[in-house]
Amino acid sequence: MSVIAAAAADFQAPDIDWGALAPVIAVLGAAVLGVILEALLPRRLRNVAQIGLALAALVVSLVLLSVLWAKPPVSVGTVGPAGAVGRLTQGMNLSIMVDRPALFLQASIVVVSLLAVLTMVERSRDADPFTPQGSAVPGSDFENASRQAGLVQTEVLPLLLLAVSGMMVFTAAGDLLTLFVALELLSLPLYILCGLARRRRLLSQEASLKYFLLGSFGSALFLFGAALLYGATATVNLAAMSQVLQSGAPLLVVTGVVLVLAGLLFKVGAVPFHAWTPDVYTGAPTPITGFMAAATKIAAFGALLRVLFYGLAPLQDTWQPVLVIVAVATMVVGSVVAIVQADIKRMLAYSSIAHAGFILTALVAVQEAGISSTLFYVLAYGFTTLGAFAVVALVRERDARNNITGEATHLSQWAGLGRRSPVLAGVFTLFMLAMAGIPLTSGFTAKFAVFSAAVSAGYAWLAVVGVVASAAAVFFYIRVIVLMYFSEPAADATTVVAGRPFTAAAVALGAVATILLGVVPAPVLELARTAATAPFGG
Amino acid sequence: MNLILSGTAGAAAQAGAASGVQSLTWLLVGLPLLGAFVLMVGGRRTDRWGHWLAVLLSWAAFVIGAAVFLSVLGEPASERVSVQHLFSWVPAGAFSAEAALRVDTLSLTFVLLVTFVGSLIHVYSVAYMAADPDRRRFFAYLNLFVAAMLLLVLADNYLLLYVGWEGVGLASYLLIGFWNHNPSYAAAAKKAFVANRVGDIGLALAIASMFLVFGGVDFDTVLGGAQQDGLQYQGWMTFIGLMLLLGACGKSAQVPLQSWLGDAMAGPTPVSALIHAATMVTAGVYLVVRSGAVYQAAPTAALIVVIVGALSLLFGAIVASAKDDMKKVLAGSTMSQVGYMMLAAGLGPVGYAFAIFHLVTHGFFKAGMFLGAGSVMHGMDDVVDLRRFGDLARTMRITWLTFGAGWLSIIGFPFLSGFWSKDAIIEAAFVGEGWRPWVFGSVAMLAAGLTAFYASRMFFMMFHGRKRWDTGAHPHEAPPLMTVPMIVLALGSVFLGGVLTIGGAFVNWLTPVVGEAAEEEPVLSVPVITAITLALVAIGALWAWRQYAASDVPVVQPRGSLATVAARRDLFQDDVNEAVFMRPGQYLTRSLVFADTKGVDGAVGGIAGMVAGTAGWLRKFQTGFVRSYAASMLVGVVVLLGALVVVR
Amino acid sequence: MSATPFLMLSAILFTIGAVGVLTRRNAIVVFMCVELMLNASNLALITFARVHGNLDGQVAAFFVMVVAAAEVVVGLAIIVSIFRTRRSASVDEANLLKY
Repeated sequence: MSVIAAAAADFQAPDIDWGALAPVIAVLGAAVLGVILEALLPRRLRNVAQIGLALAALVVSLVLLSVLWAKPPVSVGTVGPAGAVGRLTQGMNLSIMVDRPALFLQASIVVVSLLAVLTMVERSRDADPFTPQGSAVPGSDFENASRQAGLVQTEVLPLLLLAVSGMMVFTAAGDLLTLFVALELLSLPLYILCGLARRRRLLSQEASLKYFLLGSFGSALFLFGAALLYGATATVNLAAMSQVLQSGAPLLVVTGVVLVLAGLLFKVGAVPFHAWTPDVYTGAPTPITGFMAAATKIAAFGALLRVLFYGLAPLQDTWQPVLVIVAVATMVVGSVVAIVQADIKRMLAYSSIAHAGFILTALVAVQEAGISSTLFYVLAYGFTTLGAFAVVALVRERDARNNITGEATHLSQWAGLGRRSPVLAGVFTLFMLAMAGIPLTSGFTAKFAVFSAAVSAGYAWLAVVGVVASAAAVFFYIRVIVLMYFSEPAADATTVVAGRPFTAAAVALGAVATILLGVVPAPVLELARTAATAPFGG
Repeated sequence: MNLILSGTAGAAAQAGAASGVQSLTWLLVGLPLLGAFVLMVGGRRTDRWGHWLAVLLSWAAFVIGAAVFLSVLGEPASERVSVQHLFSWVPAGAFSAEAALRVDTLSLTFVLLVTFVGSLIHVYSVAYMAADPDRRRFFAYLNLFVAAMLLLVLADNYLLLYVGWEGVGLASYLLIGFWNHNPSYAAAAKKAFVANRVGDIGLALAIASMFLVFGGVDFDTVLGGAQQDGLQYQGWMTFIGLMLLLGACGKSAQVPLQSWLGDAMAGPTPVSALIHAATMVTAGVYLVVRSGAVYQAAPTAALIVVIVGALSLLFGAIVASAKDDMKKVLAGSTMSQVGYMMLAAGLGPVGYAFAIFHLVTHGFFKAGMFLGAGSVMHGMDDVVDLRRFGDLARTMRITWLTFGAGWLSIIGFPFLSGFWSKDAIIEAAFVGEGWRPWVFGSVAMLAAGLTAFYASRMFFMMFHGRKRWDTGAHPHEAPPLMTVPMIVLALGSVFLGGVLTIGGAFVNWLTPVVGEAAEEEPVLSVPVITAITLALVAIGALWAWRQYAASDVPVVQPRGSLATVAARRDLFQDDVNEAVFMRPGQYLTRSLVFADTKGVDGAVGGIAGMVAGTAGWLRKFQTGFVRSYAASMLVGVVVLLGALVVVR
Repeated sequence: MSATPFLMLSAILFTIGAVGVLTRRNAIVVFMCVELMLNASNLALITFARVHGNLDGQVAAFFVMVVAAAEVVVGLAIIVSIFRTRRSASVDEANLLKY
């Protein structure tokens, strides 16, 4: 007993900088509030309340992030009293480090999530992407009754906010435990969200199951790797770990590093941990796919940056070869297999694998250029891919009685779209060109930054492989454009759902961002560079 | 390669900034350009008054040109250079080109010639094209041409000159092919454009070389540098000189790029008068004279210029002597007379001023002759065959008189303009050492005789002899809008030469730009030269009179001797071009297309097939079973771990 | 007491779990194997905490247990919804999305 009393007397409350955590708390708090409102509010008020809450939370979070950006960044490095922002837990090692790169990434996530929310809030009967009752068996009378009654699954938005908060912590995590918790926090809502598609529910549930099983498998690998690293270095904190690792890497450490990387690369979608991506992206509701493709990548790459450049920096020679092999394989597989895809969501999924490979080439540059180019690329790619999937959500099928049914995702159904809806086809062409990396779009600036970073680190051949893979990738992007403009439409089964204001707004914002980042990338590049030069260890 | 030469010192006169009246110089280019723009953009709405606008703007340009001329006259000789800087055009680091207009005696000479003769032809065209529904478009192109030509001669650097160069080429193409519903006319326009293009390559290479050697392309830099250090870099100077000559040959229809001029007669006659007689074809001479300093430093190139001039001189005269199409005779004559100018220009400072002098007088009498031909066409229902004219002197009095003035001038009748300018060139050709003065002088003299022959032949076949008209022809005089310009030009053909020779006025006027010529005596004394020349002229004229005025001219073309047949076929120029350039070019194209289809496309197709095959193989890994995905993940971890362990 | 037996047990459990994920067809059993892997990591964490003498590992183990519980909630919900749809909990049956 005396031991406990003595310990209680010596109890040191952790020094928590709430200001630094305010953006995360805003989102998390809104998520919790949303769940409570879900239980308390009458049905007709729920939808509006949730939408308002989600948007408000994201906007407030964004404002708080910009306020934080103006304050000096946290100074980390060795064990010692740190600066003004982001100090948490006992001692001097931080569990959550809110430094400039983290702020940039968190802001990217929030902005992308704002656009994602716009794609998710269509509530008219045909345009709602989510099932009326998640628990209903597909095709059952219960489901039909729910649909007739016009039920709406409004918990979607709190789930989204939970995932967003998880992502925000994921990018700012300072030790492996926080990483794990944040990883699970961001993944679990996504597992559920994947299964809530309104149509093709079988595919949606299958996607959810696959994502869940493989995701938990990946997290388990990550955790075991974290345990091994803890065993080798006696600490889970990344800062302290990098100190200890300077003296060398026994086999235990190498195994741990590989396992941790496996878990993180799984989230990114890199070969050989990519197998979930095509299936899950295809089956999930399209707005969720867009959100996953954009925001999860931002978060996962942010975490990768932190772990590799900060925690495992002394082990550069160990993980660089791994990254190089993975990057090459990812670029090649992503670009090549997308060529033979006939479903547009699956094609975009493989293309997102390829893009992950391109970003990985920047990670071999353990310098400021590597960080800033990665930051810019994930943001630019986020806008483009979100816009692209939003457009996919707008192209729908029409059944015999002229009701608008599900999405028309087979490529053949996109033929002749250029003539029927020129604006939509034009915007989608912009997104395709941006993904292909054509100059004057954000994709070109991003690819250029990434490949220059690789070249400046001495991996010029890697950049060459990247360029070749990009050249191969141009094929399937241009194929869609050609299909839209130069092919005759088949039997009139496709249509475009016009007058979906929120989704159209998201598409427009995505397009504007893509063009702006391509034509005047300097401001954002400057921001990324400023973020990268923060004392980050990299 | 860095700058070899630099520095701007050495220009004959220091260029000051344009001020006062001279600051209006930009209007010279601007006003006709405005006219072209208004007429082209305005479209059908401007049909009723468009041509008058064009005429007005053209005369306005002349008035401004005259005002600038008068203001320059008021300045002492050493200060007759000013530059009007318009804007900074190409600031590209080490290289910068300005948009600037240079007002000096040489450019002013051309300005006055172009605007005066051009405006007269504008007036003439109002009546000549009265029946054409596209008249407005014609005037738009005419104004465009005037603007481009003025830009060419006023440019202060070679790059801006190139812009004007291309502009006149474009205008020429548009005007030759004006009646483009006729495919042969359109083909003639194409031929002109292509031949010009070949020459333009030369000019472009010359400009590029100038930048390489001198670091800049404006006249002060290039010509000053050539003057100072040219002799040290003769190889480059020779190259530049030859490339400039290539450009000049294209524009001025000199051998070997002369084949387009005859076909260019497909355009309306005012076009032939303005572009292919008085102005555009003289642009090449302008280029050579302007670049005199380069040729001073490259004697070989200068010699080639003289040879080219001499060859063209003979070529044009021979072809003109056998043609029955009166416009083609005039075309050959132009080629020949420009040959005179080139020959003079190649001779160096002793010949520059005379080349320009002959250029000016030629502008008057050749334009006058073309306008006269147009008047005859107008009166004879667009017939151009000399064999169907005859005895027009009575029915077309004014045309007869004005054309006759031009005829007398071109053959070098004593004291008319042509006499002063052409004889000066012949005398200058006889200056020098060794074989050169003899060869070139003799060629020039002989050509004078040939000129007399073909010009007289044409004159007599048109206006004298038996009536050989078609049935139903009613030759009548042209309306005043056409005859007045012809009269003005005829007066110039008669008097201008004499006026400009008084006191060596013209030569002194040009000295600040072309330099002072050392006083040298020709190898034959001047009276002897004059006497022999006049004798040859008399022989030529009399022979023509005997053949075509005194005897009967067959209406159907007789077979003629071998030489005549060859001359009628333009001395086989088209056949040579086809054999030497066209056919090998076609073979080359065909073989390249073959290589592209089989080689390049085959390689690309092969790669694409390989990629598709790989894709088909890779996609099989995505089996749809969760367990196999998990297995691939685990295998991946094991492989990576293994690779790392092995590497360590 | 040396830590090696514990670590070996942890490794064996992890391997059993991984192999189970690869070989078992019932979704519930697969999920159980994933849980087995997570618990193997827990065991490793606690062992290492004992080896190094600090509490980080034990704290981590607590966190992991909570997270695993949350994961179970989500996972079972998904598996149950699939079961109700297909009347079968076999993971191999869910192979509509492929190639």
